[in-house]
Amino acid sequence: MKKTAQKTMKNIIEGHGLSFLYQHFDEDGKVDFAQTALDGVDLEVEPGQFIAILGHNGSGKSTLARQLNALLLPSEGTLYVDGYDTRDESNLWNIRQSAGMVFQNPDNQIIASVVEEDVGFGPENMGIPTEDIWVRVEKALRSVGMWKMRSSSPNRLSGGQKQRVAIAGVIAMKPKCIVLDEPTAMLDPGGRAEVIRTVHELNRTEGVTVILITHYMEEVVDADRVIVMDQGKVVLTGTPKEIFSQVELLRKHRLDVPQVTLLAYELKQKGLDLPDGILSPEELLQNLDTLCGQRKQCDTETALQDTAQAADETARVVHKELRKSHTDEGRTEQIRIEHLNYIYDPGTAYERTALDDISLTIHNGEFIGIIGHTGSGKSTLIQHLNGLNRASSGRLLFSGEDIYSEGYPMRALRFKVGLVFQYPEHQLFESDVLKDVCFGPKNQGLSEEEALARAREAMRSVGLDESFEKKSPFDLSGGQKRRAAIAGILAMDPEVLVLDEPTAGLDPKGRDEILDLLKSLHEERNITIILVSHSMEDVANYVSRIIVMDEGRILYDDVPEKVFIHVKELESVGLAAPRVTYIMDALRRDSWDVDASVTTIAQARDEILRALGR
Amino acid sequence: MLKDITIGQYYPGNSIIHKLDPRVKLMGTLVFIVTLFAFGSVGSYICATIALAIVITLSRVPLSFILRGLKAIFVLMVITALFNLFLTPGTVICRFWVLKITAEGLRMTIHMAFRLTYLIVGSSIMTLTTTPNQLTDGLETGLRAFNKIHVPVHEVAMMMSIALRFIPILMDETDKIMRAQEARGADFASGGIIKKAKALVPMLVPLFVSAFRRANDLALAMEARGYHGGAGRTKMKPLIYHRRDYVSYVIMIVYVAVMFVLWRYVKLQLPIPGLK
Repeated sequence: MKKTAQKTMKNIIEGHGLSFLYQHFDEDGKVDFAQTALDGVDLEVEPGQFIAILGHNGSGKSTLARQLNALLLPSEGTLYVDGYDTRDESNLWNIRQSAGMVFQNPDNQIIASVVEEDVGFGPENMGIPTEDIWVRVEKALRSVGMWKMRSSSPNRLSGGQKQRVAIAGVIAMKPKCIVLDEPTAMLDPGGRAEVIRTVHELNRTEGVTVILITHYMEEVVDADRVIVMDQGKVVLTGTPKEIFSQVELLRKHRLDVPQVTLLAYELKQKGLDLPDGILSPEELLQNLDTLCGQRKQCDTETALQDTAQAADETARVVHKELRKSHTDEGRTEQIRIEHLNYIYDPGTAYERTALDDISLTIHNGEFIGIIGHTGSGKSTLIQHLNGLNRASSGRLLFSGEDIYSEGYPMRALRFKVGLVFQYPEHQLFESDVLKDVCFGPKNQGLSEEEALARAREAMRSVGLDESFEKKSPFDLSGGQKRRAAIAGILAMDPEVLVLDEPTAGLDPKGRDEILDLLKSLHEERNITIILVSHSMEDVANYVSRIIVMDEGRILYDDVPEKVFIHVKELESVGLAAPRVTYIMDALRRDSWDVDASVTTIAQARDEILRALGR
Repeated sequence: MLKDITIGQYYPGNSIIHKLDPRVKLMGTLVFIVTLFAFGSVGSYICATIALAIVITLSRVPLSFILRGLKAIFVLMVITALFNLFLTPGTVICRFWVLKITAEGLRMTIHMAFRLTYLIVGSSIMTLTTTPNQLTDGLETGLRAFNKIHVPVHEVAMMMSIALRFIPILMDETDKIMRAQEARGADFASGGIIKKAKALVPMLVPLFVSAFRRANDLALAMEARGYHGGAGRTKMKPLIYHRRDYVSYVIMIVYVAVMFVLWRYVKLQLPIPGLK
């Protein structure tokens, strides 16, 4: 590529006063809609740095990312990428080669039907000679650990693998900087870890500058610098430690802090003398140990406390038993599954057992979490609950009736067991939100007025007021769309609500809002809720019973405390325990007298305080 | 339903036929079909059968797999055959009720059946042994001459390969959306044609929205990776002729010659009474 006006600069990225206005023009060419997405952003990135950009959905971080690749140009201000001014069109291809970009959706950025050909796409566009393309493709695929899969079809890869291919596709263009725009938002925890590990390795070994946009706080702790954005502005910048010291402020910007940091923060609130911004379990452990360096002196006190503790212990056991009995008794049986099997494409070469001898009972008013890695059969299982899938063998009873018996009203079952699919907002189709929410009730055969009344009630209960009724569902924000879609199911007034990863892709605040919504639905309407999730923390915080699936079988079915004790087994099937459980386990191994089966931050806080005798 | 269609499917393998240059295979298929129609005679069908048998054996694609592709057009073939059989004028050889079968009709039917079957089988072998990508590459290079008359050959080929990549994704998506709407009580199966068409709205709107979103994402991703049309682009897997490809071309020429000779000079007749 020909050399054009390239300035020599210390920084690989240098932007001053960057502003960007999204404008929509009507037929006469007048602006009928304008929104400031970036507002006076200054950005300086040195070569080789690992920068993380945090911000809630719609904070302007994706707009900023697109500026770095000259996919969008600043309305005001200047931006130099590798010394090239992005506003100068003759620099365009140089900039795109210098700053590669990885997007959120793994499917939508893979162009070719074979892995290696996709990685070769960038170099092909750059006009690299054929032999050199092959060298680059091999190197790039090896650097992300995907060389073995080079001749596979992208459709056969997991989400994490697809994103690694996308990263390789960028690496093959030999960029100085990679911009990753929420590369992990659509992945399961295993895939997320894969991608983040790969990115860190590239940063370390190849010295590639990384700009990672995310709303998973845990992915950010190893960054050199964190930038927090809100309303198109940079509101905070600093090291992860500095940033995560400001728990309250982050919450104000709809963000969050890592679990360890949160635990430390909570302990500090309770008067423990801990430093701000603790980022790793080791750090917390060390601090707690020094705190209780007086522990040796505490020993006598501890002896005194022992009796009190023993009493405490029994109380806790009793408490747990109560919780358990709460789920089992005093409630009527709602769904019973007996020896259910499901085989995909029976009799063909693609035959695969998706569910293998599943038996379980669900009671009225339970709040259940189903966890399992991608492909463990959890989605297949929940689609049996409303009869969308028909079991190959076995029985499924709803309120005591066999749904596979002759003449069972299968369609009526759909209204009793409301199923919210993953990314339910993708199923919105009506011209306004109210009509869309009415779709279910109308299919139920309700009259216009009844359907409207139901729809309005459902919209209120998900927190969408009257002003949303006439809006197009496509004009809502991500979180609002999701709530509108959930309202569409709630309006059918189901007895059981099943949700497949309802928080996927939402920012921390959006995630909490949805989960709190479920909690209140459960408490106020006494709906049975079945929550499929990848997040152990979400499950631990909200549900009272966990079903763990692996390879079409039920591995565990118990209260969270008893499920998460099996850390090793969970890890061997690609899952994990909540992060606090690990922290408590580490404390215990460090001879702290704490209960390691703790699964939520609040429990952990209380346990540590108790162990410290406070 | 869609799984039954083998045309356009790829059967992974490593045979000599798989390895041939896609341009050779495209040309070969064209030659095979043209000769089949231009030089149709009993002798040339025998020759075509032998050629087809050799190619199928070499390709190591199971015959049953190839024949499955015929199922999809079986109805079409039966209708064509019936029309030919009953509606061709000529020497009547037998007669039911108002229908009569003529010698010419019978001859025509047999010819047509041979041609259609061989056309499908012949093109199936090409698609079964060539990846969609190779196929588009072959078309792109093979049709490069049309660039001169301003046919955007590269762009069309790029669109074809993107379409091929996204068909399975959109099929999955359709299934997912249908299920999600069924979970809301949508009924795609019952009712008259108007009700059925109306019922499709909740599926089609999200599908189109999703397709546009994907198209938008993909366009961004392609731009971000420096795509700016066919100009100045190099190829990772350029098509290069090997010895086997040249040999294939020679075989093709010989095949055409043999077909011509058989059709022109070898007068084999179908054993149908009354046929001149």
